[in-house]
Amino acid sequence: MKSRGSRGWGIVRVAFLAVLTLFTLLPMVWMLLTSLKTQFAASQYPPEWWPKNVTFEQYSLLLSPATETGRDFLRYMFNSVWVSLASTVLGVIVAVPAAYAFSRFRFPGRQLLFYSVLLRNMFPAVVFLMPLFILMRWLHLVNTEFSLILTYLTFGLPLSIWLLKGFYDNIPAQLEQAARMDGATRFQAFFQIVMPLSSPGIIATAIYSFILAWNEYLYALVFLNDKSKLTLPVGLQRFFTEYTTNWPGLMAASFITSVPVVVLFLILQKYFVRALTEGAVKA
Amino acid sequence: MSGTAAASRKRLVSREPGVLARMVRHRADYLYVAPALGVMLLVIGYPIYDTIYLSFFNTPPSLALEDKTFVGVDNYIRILTSDAFLEVTVNTLIWTAFSTFFAFVLGLGAALALDKQFVGRGLLRGILLIPYVISAVAAAYIWRWLYHTDFGVIGAIAVAAGLTDRPINFLDNTETSLGSLIVVNVWKEFSFAMIMMLAGLQTVPEQLHRAAQVDGAGVFQRFWHITMPHLKGVTLVTVLLLLVSNLNSFTIPWIMTAGGPAGSTDIWITAIYQLAFERIRFGISSAYSVIVFIVMMSMGYFYVRALTRRDGARYG
Amino acid sequence: MPLFDDARFLMDRRQLLGTAAAAGFAGSLPGMARAAASPSGLDTSNWTPEYIGGIAGTLDVDTTAECAKVVPLSTKGHLTYWYVGPNQASPDIDHKIDAEFWVAFAKTYPNITVERQNLDYNQMLNKVRTAALGNAAPMVAKFPILWGVEFAAKGQLSQLKPEDVGYPVDEFWPGALKSVMWKGKSYGVPTNNETMGLIWNAALFQAAGLDPEKPPATWDDLVVYSKQIKDKTGKNGYGMVARTNAGNTPFRFMPQLWAYGGEAFDEAEANPTYKTVNLNNSGSKAALQASYDMYVRDRSVPMSALTNTQNENQDPFISGQLGMMISHPLEYSVMLDRTAKATGDDKKIAEGVVANMRYGLVPKGPARRAVVFGGSNVHIFDPKVVDGKLDMEAARAFVAFSTGPEWSTKLAWTNSNPGNLRGFRTKWMKERLATIKFLNVTTSMLPSGIPFPVIPETSEVMNIIVPDMLQNVLTKKMTVSAAADDAAKKAKVLLSGL
Repeated sequence: MKSRGSRGWGIVRVAFLAVLTLFTLLPMVWMLLTSLKTQFAASQYPPEWWPKNVTFEQYSLLLSPATETGRDFLRYMFNSVWVSLASTVLGVIVAVPAAYAFSRFRFPGRQLLFYSVLLRNMFPAVVFLMPLFILMRWLHLVNTEFSLILTYLTFGLPLSIWLLKGFYDNIPAQLEQAARMDGATRFQAFFQIVMPLSSPGIIATAIYSFILAWNEYLYALVFLNDKSKLTLPVGLQRFFTEYTTNWPGLMAASFITSVPVVVLFLILQKYFVRALTEGAVKA
Repeated sequence: MSGTAAASRKRLVSREPGVLARMVRHRADYLYVAPALGVMLLVIGYPIYDTIYLSFFNTPPSLALEDKTFVGVDNYIRILTSDAFLEVTVNTLIWTAFSTFFAFVLGLGAALALDKQFVGRGLLRGILLIPYVISAVAAAYIWRWLYHTDFGVIGAIAVAAGLTDRPINFLDNTETSLGSLIVVNVWKEFSFAMIMMLAGLQTVPEQLHRAAQVDGAGVFQRFWHITMPHLKGVTLVTVLLLLVSNLNSFTIPWIMTAGGPAGSTDIWITAIYQLAFERIRFGISSAYSVIVFIVMMSMGYFYVRALTRRDGARYG
Repeated sequence: MPLFDDARFLMDRRQLLGTAAAAGFAGSLPGMARAAASPSGLDTSNWTPEYIGGIAGTLDVDTTAECAKVVPLSTKGHLTYWYVGPNQASPDIDHKIDAEFWVAFAKTYPNITVERQNLDYNQMLNKVRTAALGNAAPMVAKFPILWGVEFAAKGQLSQLKPEDVGYPVDEFWPGALKSVMWKGKSYGVPTNNETMGLIWNAALFQAAGLDPEKPPATWDDLVVYSKQIKDKTGKNGYGMVARTNAGNTPFRFMPQLWAYGGEAFDEAEANPTYKTVNLNNSGSKAALQASYDMYVRDRSVPMSALTNTQNENQDPFISGQLGMMISHPLEYSVMLDRTAKATGDDKKIAEGVVANMRYGLVPKGPARRAVVFGGSNVHIFDPKVVDGKLDMEAARAFVAFSTGPEWSTKLAWTNSNPGNLRGFRTKWMKERLATIKFLNVTTSMLPSGIPFPVIPETSEVMNIIVPDMLQNVLTKKMTVSAAADDAAKKAKVLLSGL
């Protein structure tokens, strides 16, 4: 009776997972198939279910340093890597001490400041575009990657600080105390004891910040003009120009853009789940 | 270090007066949070001030911003009394509520299905996370292509399966456009809910389940009486994070339909963008933004409560 | 097989000119009928394909000498410049000419350094607006005809007229000059002028039982043709565009609206004041009804029209899935370019499409034949909004160089016509006429060109109010009458300054 019940549930579970996987993957598969078609083949109705003449022309166009398109695309990719990495690293450098202080210290205004950090995500990006542009101009940062790095850095902070604070709350203060009794400075104690214990949290928040920065579109669109400084999401849009829509090219570019974050995530996802479990969920 | 913390807690308990004195004593502590707060203040403080200030001015497209005229709360009255605002608000509520609901339900279902060891579990979890990590710009273009009324594969499959006699008009039809966009949004973010709930499930003690199983409790009973109570906190956090991100969505609706056709997918954020950047009315768009702020902030109380529940338990 | 029915085309031209004169049409482009012996040496009252062919190649131009009279060639300076240049989708020839242009400028003014930004058409307007607001504007920018007046009204442009860079006013189309005027002052120089034509697929016409060489003469015919193509071949007839917040929409819908006698304000009249709103007159409603008939009643146009920009029509057209659309001569060069690059089966399809491409005049309506008078102007920004210090001499040198007969012809190579009318007499124009088939069609459409209203509110009317009106009808959210009245009401509110 009991085992039949769980077998029934087991079938439901497998069926549900199968449907969900198809729902997740089929759009990606169609993206990939379209990217392997020629432009003519892509605008047929009914569509070619499987590309008759498989072509890699869009990929070679996008990734070849010999063509202008390829050079532009590779540059966008390099810019995206640089902006995302820089904002991630700076984000971690800023978030770790803040989270540590919110967890360990009891300075006045602690709660209020912590709340205001969390509220950052409640402000829609669109609303701040114009005033932020004026601010960046005032700081002489318009048309520099630093304007994006500075902005992106703040996107990841609320979740990073919140997650890391959860981690530090769970690390017994006695561990640091013991180290300091052995003659370590506060700084050393932090680096040798606390940092290693919270490394899953740091990795998780780093991935999270990286993905946010990698995928951001609106600020990148407004803050940068110089073609040599654009990031991938904005570069993707350049495939929609006044006169032509190159759907296979667009799908190929979407595919290439997605690969780095998907691979990164597939490799590091276990840290992400662990970090959420230990830092955010466990009370 | 912990000595300091303990001492400060003691001081807190004894309600020693003089906030200023305490701040001075803790001055070193502020150095830790200063970089984070400084950069936030810069990137948020000035824009908030500027938005509120501009919301009291009329800035017609024919005038430079310096020549704006003060109109008091006129902008607010004009927004709140316009028919379009009602329509956009209804769209926003539908968009937010349905996106959040379906993303959460699918995410929870996936988490429950994955909360068991089996071969390929990690890979499957990774695959389900793909939509969440790819860029919204790419997602919007992929789905525009899938939905395409003339060349779209979904319409073609429906025709081939004999469901309809001609391709379905997903995005160019006021009755289906918003629903079609919600599907994309759910596709994009259900795995965020999944990963949060998965983390939550790991905190449910295995012994309780086993004990209940021995007592003859069914799968559903065990879920309801053992799993759910443990997931309350993480559910609240997840739902709030989804609500906030859905209220703030821009890229998917903007790239896919730009608020059309005939306003059927216009939500608050796209309306604000259109006012500010397509129609160049910074005054009225700022007022619109402030209205959205107020809605957000009223949610903010619950949001902060949910995120800091733990703190309350520990220090409260 | 004649690619173009010259006899019929000519008859049509004469008819048009006759009607135009009778209806006082010429008045909409004041100055067109006068000026037989203007400094440009052109007779714009006799603007036929033969005339244009006859004058091409009759003038030698020395750009360096002309520029030297305006700004000395040894001038030292620095320039920042934004423009919509060639991109991934542009034919190779556009890239080549762009590169040649910068080499030639550097040779002419070796001591002026240029920092240039090649922006995306769909992103440029917002970028320029943001930059001007944040005092981060470039010194010089070239942008579509419709945009300039907004910046002029806001006081963000420097005054600039053709004489400032050495060219008499008569060397430019009056309609183009009108587009740089704000409150009686001039704020730019026209660089190129363009009009579109109707392009169709002769093979699809044939398959639908239509005369493959004869385009629909009127918009009513176009509705009938579109339905016939859909019914007989299953392919879409007419490439309608009705996306909101998109500039492509008014470029395709306004010609239809004007043809039926509709107007946004009074822009089709001789001396428009832009004070009255006519979006709900009977002509506007007739045009809306025709669109409704195609999209809702006959379903003979792409059903994705409401989310499509013109981009999305090009691929179906060249793969033989679409019968007709309104477009640039550029389409033909894009097609040639693709044919050259295609391989295998695709090459055959592409060659077939090239052989079947036909260009003709945009259909006329009960009131007139009309097309949007488009193109671009070059502007110098006001010193207070420029990023850094405005180098006026460098800016003038650049404007003089790029708006002269030589480069205004070359830069407009594939899709447009020289803003400087002397360009029509150069050898480069002759070469274009010889190599770009169908160029004569769009050139001949120039006199039917109606400029968009020259007021700052225009972009909102054209890019938002008009597409919304169309969408309200096509989605059956409102009746034709209600949608037109709703749009007119919004336009009136807009004019009242709110």
